[in-house]
Amino acid sequence: MALAPEAGREQMVGEASAPAEAFGVVAGMRLGEALSRCPELRLVPPDPEAVRGLWHEVLDRIERIGGAPESECAGAAFFEADGLRGIHGGDLAGVLAATRRSLGRGSRIGAAPSRFASYCAAREARPRRAPVVVEQREAAGFLAGLPTALLRSRPEFGPLPEVLDRLGVRTLGELAALPSRSVAERFGHPGLLALDLARGRDTPLEPRRPPEPVSERIELPEAASGQQLERALEMLIARVLARRERRGRALRALAVSARFVAGGTWRETATLRIASADPERIRLALGPKLAELPSPAESVALEVEAFGPPAQDQGRLLDEEGAARHARLGEAVRQARQAAGESAAMRVLDVDPDSRLPERRSVLAPFVDSTPKGRHR
Amino acid sequence: MNARSSKRLATPCAARVRVGECGVPVALGGAAVDSVREDWVVEDRWWTGRPVRRRYFELVLEDGRNVVVFRNLSGGGWFTQRG
Repeated sequence: MALAPEAGREQMVGEASAPAEAFGVVAGMRLGEALSRCPELRLVPPDPEAVRGLWHEVLDRIERIGGAPESECAGAAFFEADGLRGIHGGDLAGVLAATRRSLGRGSRIGAAPSRFASYCAAREARPRRAPVVVEQREAAGFLAGLPTALLRSRPEFGPLPEVLDRLGVRTLGELAALPSRSVAERFGHPGLLALDLARGRDTPLEPRRPPEPVSERIELPEAASGQQLERALEMLIARVLARRERRGRALRALAVSARFVAGGTWRETATLRIASADPERIRLALGPKLAELPSPAESVALEVEAFGPPAQDQGRLLDEEGAARHARLGEAVRQARQAAGESAAMRVLDVDPDSRLPERRSVLAPFVDSTPKGRHR
Repeated sequence: MNARSSKRLATPCAARVRVGECGVPVALGGAAVDSVREDWVVEDRWWTGRPVRRRYFELVLEDGRNVVVFRNLSGGGWFTQRG
């Protein structure tokens, strides 16, 4: 079996079971190809809400043994083990045993000096078997034989793993042997980061912040759509804003989710450009998301994912009308010139941006507050 | 445009460049050149009485800086320029 494509998303299967993998079905494969490889494939509707709930439970368990987990996506979490040795028997084995007891025998656990190396170690580990432990001195050797395709686990690399593969750099050892300067010239910052990972180094962990669950759900009496959904959204926003846990703070990021009549769930996140407690502004940000609801829903919910500053502390400059802002800017320019002369406020003016001679492309000209838009930056 | 109150950006600055056998820079000021990333020739304004002919080099210096220098093929001399 495999997870069916999410409603309204690309037609690709999600995680696949071991028997499906035996037929060559892997996560991210196009549905048509998956079915042609495994005609008996059973597709299970994805339930991102349930996954989120279960994964939070896993992270809670890690926190209960003292860990501070970092987790970018459900399925993989990382935490520093060194600080926990003292409370779990004094050594790494004690920490790993506590982790196993907390997460259950089905989990894959790996320990290594860096995030990426421990991810690779956990992939090598098998459920119900001992965790794979890679010591500092073994890290480079351990990583050397592994494929560069493992870099796909880090979304910041984009197409880099495929490019490395096309260039014949197939193992992390081959990547680690390349000179830093050449990698930097060819691939820039992502290349240097990949090189660090291949050599057993990584960026520091960023543990999750303790969650402050503020969510509201509304059961829909029948297959609601259009205006009914808008009203439901308005009500959810009003309820969330009225929650005591908000403590006067503006909202930065929210998630709107739905449970479908036919089974399965759906979830979309919206991050506000400016943190706000204005119901109208929030409705404008979330309305289009809810309009993308791919199937009739029996309930919709709204959850705060991140809070902003206290609502009354928001700057007002950006909220003002353009004319008032322009007038203030003009006054600021006049005052600066009064104090420091004409050159206090200049602008870059593109005069011949396509010229092959750099000195002919732009000039620094006095800032004029009535400048038409477009030709300056 | 008011010439007194406007100023061109990225104007060339005279530079002290030491060159190797093929005319390729090996040092800029006191810093040795680590590698030459790219070189190219610009010929422009040949239709005027003041044609421009330059050979540009994009250099990585040993101190980590990335700079662009050119040799003026018409009047001679080396210059740095920010693009």
